[in-house]
Amino acid sequence: MTRHGGKRGLSRRAFVKSAVAIGGSAALAACLDREGSPDLDRGSDPSSLPDRQHAWNGALETDDHGNHVPPRHRLMLYLDYGRDGSPTAGDRETVERALASLDRAYARGGEGLLWTVSYSRAYFDRFDESLPGSVGLPEPTALAPFEDPDLDTPDAVVHLASNYGSVVLAAEQALFGERETLNGVAVDATLEGVFEQSDRRTGFIGPGLPAENQDVEGIPESEPVDEDAPLYMGFKSGFEKSQASEDRVTIREGPFAGGTTQHISKIRLHLQQWYEQDSRYHRVATMFCPAHAEENRVEGVGENLGDDNGMAATGCPAHAGEDARETGVVGHAQKAARAREDGSPVILRRDFDSTDDDAATVHFLSLQRSIGDFVATRSRMNGTDVADSAAVGQRTNNGILQYLTVERRGNYLLPPRDRRALPTPTG
Amino acid sequence: MNRRSFLAAGATAAGGVTAGCGGLLQTRSVRTPPLVEDRPDAVYVPTHVEGMKMVDGSTAGRYRFGLSYSYPHRFWVVTGTNRKRIRIGENDSVHLMVTVRDTETGVALPTSNAGIEVRKGGETVVSKSMWPMLSQNMGMHFGDNVALDGDGTYEVGVTFGPVGARKTGDFQGAFAESRSITVPLEYSSDAVENIDFRTLDDRKGQRGAVEPMGEMATQLPPADQLPGRVIGETKSGDAAFVATVLDSTPAGVDGSGSYLAVSARTPYNRYPIPMMSLSGTIEREGETVFEGPLDATLDPDLRYHYGAVVDGIESGDALELSVGAPPQVARHEGYETAFFEFSPATLTV
Repeated sequence: MTRHGGKRGLSRRAFVKSAVAIGGSAALAACLDREGSPDLDRGSDPSSLPDRQHAWNGALETDDHGNHVPPRHRLMLYLDYGRDGSPTAGDRETVERALASLDRAYARGGEGLLWTVSYSRAYFDRFDESLPGSVGLPEPTALAPFEDPDLDTPDAVVHLASNYGSVVLAAEQALFGERETLNGVAVDATLEGVFEQSDRRTGFIGPGLPAENQDVEGIPESEPVDEDAPLYMGFKSGFEKSQASEDRVTIREGPFAGGTTQHISKIRLHLQQWYEQDSRYHRVATMFCPAHAEENRVEGVGENLGDDNGMAATGCPAHAGEDARETGVVGHAQKAARAREDGSPVILRRDFDSTDDDAATVHFLSLQRSIGDFVATRSRMNGTDVADSAAVGQRTNNGILQYLTVERRGNYLLPPRDRRALPTPTG
Repeated sequence: MNRRSFLAAGATAAGGVTAGCGGLLQTRSVRTPPLVEDRPDAVYVPTHVEGMKMVDGSTAGRYRFGLSYSYPHRFWVVTGTNRKRIRIGENDSVHLMVTVRDTETGVALPTSNAGIEVRKGGETVVSKSMWPMLSQNMGMHFGDNVALDGDGTYEVGVTFGPVGARKTGDFQGAFAESRSITVPLEYSSDAVENIDFRTLDDRKGQRGAVEPMGEMATQLPPADQLPGRVIGETKSGDAAFVATVLDSTPAGVDGSGSYLAVSARTPYNRYPIPMMSLSGTIEREGETVFEGPLDATLDPDLRYHYGAVVDGIESGDALELSVGAPPQVARHEGYETAFFEFSPATLTV
C-alpha cells in the first residue's frame, strides 16, 4: 500500500488496537463488532481464586515451546484515591465489590480477563505506620546516569489484560460505572467517587500487532516491522527460561506474603537507525549476544530459540566484559542475564508495546520480590561496567540502550488478593 | 511503486533533469560522487569536502554545545569488526552534528552520548541517539542524517552526558550529569545548497586527509607537547599511538606509581580515536613487568587517552600495544577503511 496521501487505512485488527487506545463506548461497540462479540466463560467468586494476584501463568496458554503466551491487549488505569489520610472502611468495601465484579464476570485467562491492582509508595505514605521490612518498595528514581525520567506517583494502578480489546474496554467501563452488567454478570459497585483516573496507558503484544500498529513516531515509514514480530524491535522476548517463576517473585513473609512488587516504566523507542541503518548482525548482537550474531543462532523473530534465548548454554553473560573488550559490542540479553541468581532470573516480565502519544512505546512492566531485584537487573542492563574502559559506548553497541529513552518510572506493591482493596501498611 | 523505488528508478533512468523532484535527483547525484574504487586500507582523501553551517553554541553546565549541519552524506557504522555503509535516505535533509567542549578548559569531549529531538510546530520530527563519528574535517562529533519536514522553523533539543570514561586531574567529578539545550533552527533547502562543496578529483583515494575545519575540529596536541616523558610514537592500523609517562599517578586513578598514557590519534589531523580496546605489555630484560588494559580516560592536559598505572618505565623497556575491539565509532568517507586491522606495535624506550 502506498504511503502517499497520509495515513494508511485502518485494517481490521489495527482498528481493534486503536479502539483500546481510544477507549469509550463507541470504541467498545466497534471492537465488539470486529471481534464478533466473543462468547466468553463467566468467572467465579474471588474466594475461589488464587491468593496471588500475579498468578497468571496457570491461566495462560503455552506455545509449542512451553512459553506462556501473554494476553494480547492491555490497559492500565492510573488512579488517585479521593481522600487524604487513611481510607474509610466504606471506601474499602466499595473498592472490593467493584473489583470482585471483574472476577465474577470473566474466567481468568487470555480468553477472558486477567488483571491486577497495585499501590504505590506514595499511597502508603498517607499512613502513620510504615510498610514492613518484608516489602521492598522504594520511591521510583532514575536508574541510569543518562536517564531523566518523570516519576509516577498515582495511588494505584489497575492492569487489565485479555486477548480481546472489547474485554479490557468493557472492564474499564464497569469499573467506572458506565455499565450495569459485564459479560452478563451484574456490576455490584464502581470505583467512581473513590478513585479519580490520572492516566490511561494502553498496548499490545503478540505476532501481528506491532506490524499493524507501526504507523507511529519512532518507526520509519518503510514499515519495517516483521508481520511475525510480537514486539516492535522485531524479536520474541519473555522466553520461559529468561523469566523468573511466580514463586521467585512472590513476597514470602509479613502481611503482604503472597504479593509481589511491580515496576512500570514508560520507554520511548527510536527505531529509525535500528531498521534503516543497522545490519541484521548488529540487531542480533545487541539484542542477544555477539555469539548469536556470529553463529547465526537467531532465525527471523527468534521462534527457533524455543523456550530459551541461549544465554546459559553459550556462557554469553560470563564473557560480557571480554566481549566488550574483544568484540566491541555486548547484547541486551547477555547483560541482563548477569543479574540471575544461581542461574535463575529474578524478574518476571509482563511488558508490552504501545502507540500511546502516537509514538512507539514500551510499557515495561516487571514483577519481582523486591524492587531491588529490578534495580539490580537494570543496573546490569546499563552495562556501565563494560562501557567505561572499553570499546563499547555508553549507548553505542551497548545492548539496545541507543534505541530507548526512559520517560517515566513507577514502583508498586501488588498485594495478595485478600488485601487488594485499599490496604494499610500492615495489610 | 513507493516513493523510494520511484526515486531509485528516476536516478537510474534520468540523465536529464525535469522540474520538481528532478531537482532533488540532480542535487543528490552531484553531492554524492561515486566512491573511489580502490581505496587503501588506510586514511585516504575522500571524493569531496563539504562546509557546514553553525546553528548554535549555547552552554549547559560545563558543556558547551556546537550544533551544525551540512549536506546529508554517506557514512559507515561499526559493530565489532563489521562495518556497514549507510546510504542517504530518500527524505534526508541534512547531516546534523553536535560537538561538546568543556566550558572551563575548552577541551573537547569525544565520548559519551548525544541525543537529539527535533520538533516543528510542537510535533516531534526526529528523535534519536546520534552516532559518535569521525570525519576528516570535523574530527570526533556526534551526528546522523535526519529527515526534516520541509523549510521552516524547528526547535532542536540536544542532550549530552554524563561522560562515563575515567576522569582525572581537574576533571575529577566533572561531566557527571546529563544536560540539555534547546535551540531554534531555521531550515531551508536553499540555504543547504549554499554550503561549500568541493570535489577533490586530483587527490581522491590517495593516502592523506583533508584539512581540519577551523575551531569546530578538535585536534590533540602534537606528540612533543604532551605532558610527561614522551617515550615514542608508533603506528598500527594507520592510527598513531603516542606514549608518554608521568612520574606520578594523576588524581582520579586508583593505585600509585608511574602512569602510562597512550594518545591514540588519526594520522595527519591528530584527532582523538575513542572507543577502542587498547592493552599494553611492558617487557624488561625478558620479563613481563606490566600486562593489562589501558583504560579510556579524560584529562585536562593529556586529553582523551588510554592509560594505566605501571611500576616505572626504564630505558631499554619494550612497550607493546595491542588493540582488541577496533574503535566503535562511525566513519565518514576517508576513515572507513582505516583503524580496523591492528597488528601489535612495539616501542622501545
